[in-house]
Amino acid sequence: MKMKILRRCTAFFLILGVLLWACSVWTDRLAEDMADSVPGRNHTVAKISAEPENTVDLLILGDSESHTSMSPMELWGESGVSAYVCGQSGQRIQETYYMLKKALQTQSPKAVILETNVMFRDPGFFRNLQTCFAEPLRYYMPVFRYHSLWKMIFDGQKNTEDDYKGFMIRNAVDPCDGEEYMKETTERQEIPEFARIYMEKITELCRKNDISLVLMSAPSPKNYNYRKHNALQEYADAQGLPYIDLNLKTKEIGIDWKQDSYDKGDHLNVYGAQKVTAYMGKYLKENYDLPDHRGDPKYADWDQMEKKYREKLNL
Amino acid sequence: MAYNASLYIFIFLPICLAVYQMTPEKHRWKVLLGFSWLFFYMISGKLIVYLLGTTLLTHYIGIWLTWLKTREQMEIGNADRMQKKEIKKKYQKKRRAVLFLGVLILLSVLACLKYYNFFVHNTEMILDRFSLAFPLETRQVMMPIGISFYTLQAIAYMADVYWGKIQAEENPGRMALFLGFFPQIMEGPICRYSDTAESLYQGKSLRYENISDGYVRIFWGLFKKKIVADRLAAPVGVIFGHYTQYHGAVVAAAAVAYTVQLYMEFSGCMDIVIGSGKLFGISLPENFRQPFCARNASEFWRRWHITLGTWFKTYIFYPVSVSGPVKRWNQYGRKHAGKYVTNLVTSALALFPVWLCNGLWHGAKWSYIFYGMYYFTLILLGTAVKPVRERILQACHIREDAPYWRVLQIGKTWVIIFTGELFFRADGFRAGLHMFRSIFRGFDIRQFWDGTLLGFGMGRADLIAVAAGCIVVAVVGSVSERKGNVIGRLGKVRTPLRWCAYYALILAVFLFAAYGDGYQAVDLIYAGF
Repeated sequence: MKMKILRRCTAFFLILGVLLWACSVWTDRLAEDMADSVPGRNHTVAKISAEPENTVDLLILGDSESHTSMSPMELWGESGVSAYVCGQSGQRIQETYYMLKKALQTQSPKAVILETNVMFRDPGFFRNLQTCFAEPLRYYMPVFRYHSLWKMIFDGQKNTEDDYKGFMIRNAVDPCDGEEYMKETTERQEIPEFARIYMEKITELCRKNDISLVLMSAPSPKNYNYRKHNALQEYADAQGLPYIDLNLKTKEIGIDWKQDSYDKGDHLNVYGAQKVTAYMGKYLKENYDLPDHRGDPKYADWDQMEKKYREKLNL
Repeated sequence: MAYNASLYIFIFLPICLAVYQMTPEKHRWKVLLGFSWLFFYMISGKLIVYLLGTTLLTHYIGIWLTWLKTREQMEIGNADRMQKKEIKKKYQKKRRAVLFLGVLILLSVLACLKYYNFFVHNTEMILDRFSLAFPLETRQVMMPIGISFYTLQAIAYMADVYWGKIQAEENPGRMALFLGFFPQIMEGPICRYSDTAESLYQGKSLRYENISDGYVRIFWGLFKKKIVADRLAAPVGVIFGHYTQYHGAVVAAAAVAYTVQLYMEFSGCMDIVIGSGKLFGISLPENFRQPFCARNASEFWRRWHITLGTWFKTYIFYPVSVSGPVKRWNQYGRKHAGKYVTNLVTSALALFPVWLCNGLWHGAKWSYIFYGMYYFTLILLGTAVKPVRERILQACHIREDAPYWRVLQIGKTWVIIFTGELFFRADGFRAGLHMFRSIFRGFDIRQFWDGTLLGFGMGRADLIAVAAGCIVVAVVGSVSERKGNVIGRLGKVRTPLRWCAYYALILAVFLFAAYGDGYQAVDLIYAGF
C-alpha cells in the first residue's frame, strides 16, 4: 500500500514538474522576446537574459544604490568597457545571488561590482526564509517570475521607461544639506546573518567562474555611516576582497550634495552617477584587464545606445 | 503570516506535518499546540498573553462548574425531596453566577480592547453637546489576532459545560489547543467543543487521502482569494476611498465588487482553513454553503458565516426566547394581542439582541451596528408580511418552487446583500448613506460595459481573470448546491480525471493568481474583526 502511494505521489509530482517546466520554458522565452515590455522588478532579469551572449564584461549588482550610481554608457564612452547594471530597487541579498546566477547563464563577465547597501537589508527572519525558498523557485521555474505576462495579450505591450544597460537617467535635483555624515568611530554595524550566508555563495560563484568581485559603497548620506564602513572593511579584509567606500572619497570624486542627488541624499542623480562612474572607470582600468570594445561591429548597438543616451542627457 | 501566504502553505504547514507525524500518537496534540502558539506569536507577539489568559480562565470556569455539579449531586444523594429542590436551586444559582463571572470577564477584555475607543469617542460627543468634559481619552489599543473568534468559542464552551452538554476539559493544554488551534484562530470557523475537541486530541496518523484532499481544498481557497478577491481589492479601495467623486453605476459596481471580494476572500480563507485541518484528519465545520443561492435574507444568513449564525442562535436567540420576560409576554400576548402579534413581538425580542451583537461583533462602528439592524429589520419584515405574501401567491397562482419565482427571489436577495455590504464596507454610516443615494444619481447602465469600470486600478486582463474566476466558482457552487460539495468529492473521482482537475487547479493558481511583482499582498478582511 505504502509503495503504491509512493509511486502515485512520484508520478503526480513528476507530471506536475514537467508541466511547470514547460510553462517555465515558454514564459522565459516570452520574457526574453518582450524584455522591453516586462514590467516592474522582473524587467532587469528579462533584459540581462535578452543581452547577446558573452557581450558583458562587467556586472553591477545591488539595490537602488547600484542602479543610480553607475552608468554603463559613461563607462562605454570613456573606456569601451561593456557594463550592465543588474540592480533592482530594494534588491535582497538572495535576489542578488540569483541575479548573478541568471546573468552567468548567458554572460561571462570578468568583474562584478557589488554595491554593499544590499548587505544591510534585513526584512526579518521569516521574510528572509521566505525569500530563500522563493528565489531558487523563481530561478529554476521562471513561470513563478513571469506568470503575469499573459496579461499582455489583453492589455497590450507597454514599453517601460528607457534604460541604458540597466541605468535610468534621473536628472532631477533635490539637494541634501551635505553635512559630514562619515564621522569616524570604532563601532561597527552587524552584517545580518542571511547576508553573510549569501555573500559567501556570491563570492564562491565568482571564484568558480574566475570573476573578480569588488565591493563598492556608493555615496549616500541616508544609507551610509562609519559604523557600516567598519563592518564592510572588516568583512572585505577577512574575505580578501577589494572594498571601495566612495562615501570617504566624495571630495576626491567631486560629489556636490547640492547638485548630485535627486532625493535629498538617498540616491545620486545622473550628475552624481557620472562622477562615480568616472572614478570607478579609472579604478577598473588600473586594476583589471577589461577590454575596450569600441569599434567592434559586435557592439554596434552600444554605440547607438550611447548616442541616444547623450541626446537624452542634453535635452 | 496569513493563511494565503506561501510561508504558511509551503513552509509552516509541511514542517508542522512532518513534526506531527514523527511524534508518538499520544503526544501529537502537543505538537499542534506548540505550532499553534508559534503561529499566534508570529502574528501577535507578546499579545499571546490574552490567549493564554482566556485559556486559563475558560479552563478554570469549566472545572468550577463541574465541581459545583458534583457537589450538588453529592448533597442530593443524602437529601429528601423537599431538600433536593432547595439544593438544586442553590447550586443552579451558584453555577449561573460562575458562568456569568466567566462571560463577564471575557466580554470585559473584549470590550476594553475592541470597543473602548468607540465608547470614549461617542460619550465625548454626547457630553460635548452639554458642554461637559469626559475624563477618558481614546488611545492606541493593540488587539491580539482572532480575539473575537476565540472569545466566542470560550463562551460557548462555558455555556455548554453549564448546560451539561459536555464534560469540562481537565487538561489546560488541551483546552489551549481547542481555543488556539492555528488554522482557525485567525478567521474561525467558530467551533464548538463537541465538534472538534475529540479529533484535535486523537493524534491520527497522516493519511494520503487527507493530505491530498486537504491540499486540494487549500488550492481551491487560493484560487478564490488570489485570482478573484485580491484583484478586486484595488478598485474597491479606490471607489470606497474616494466615494464623493463617484455616483451611479460606478458605486453600484463597487458594492457588487466588494460583495464578491468579501465572499471570495472569506470563503477562500475558510477553504484554506478547513483544508489545513483536513491534513491532520481534523474536520472543521463549514462556514459557507452557496450563500448567493439564498431566496431571502434569513436563508442568506443560514448559508453565510454559518458558525457565527449558529453561535448567535444557540447562545443568544434560544436563551432569550425561553427567558422569563419573553415567556411572560407570550402568555400575556396570546390572551390579549392574538397569535400573529405575539409571534411577531417574540421574534423581535429574540432577534434584536442577535442582530445588535452581530453588528457589534464585526467592529466598533456605527456602520456595523446599522448593518446588524438592517438585517434585523429585513428578517422581521419577512416574518411580518409572511401571511399576506402567502395569500398573494395563492391568489396569483404562483408556486413557491417555480423556477422563475426562485430566480426572482434570488435576484431580490442579491440586491439586499449588495446594499448591506455597501454600508458594511463604507467608511462610516454617513459615507454609506451618501454612496447609497449616489447610486440613483446619474445612473447609466452602459457604464457596466463601456469601459468606465476599467479605470480603477484594474486592467482588462485582470477583469477577465476576475470574470473567469467567478464563472468557475459559480459553476462549482451550482453543482455543489444540487449534488453536494464538488471539491470535497473530487477525491472519489477516477484518477485520470481527478489528476487533470488537480493540475488545472494548481496551474490556474500559479499562472493567473495576483501575486509577485506588480501586486501587493492584501490583508485578510475578517482577520481584522
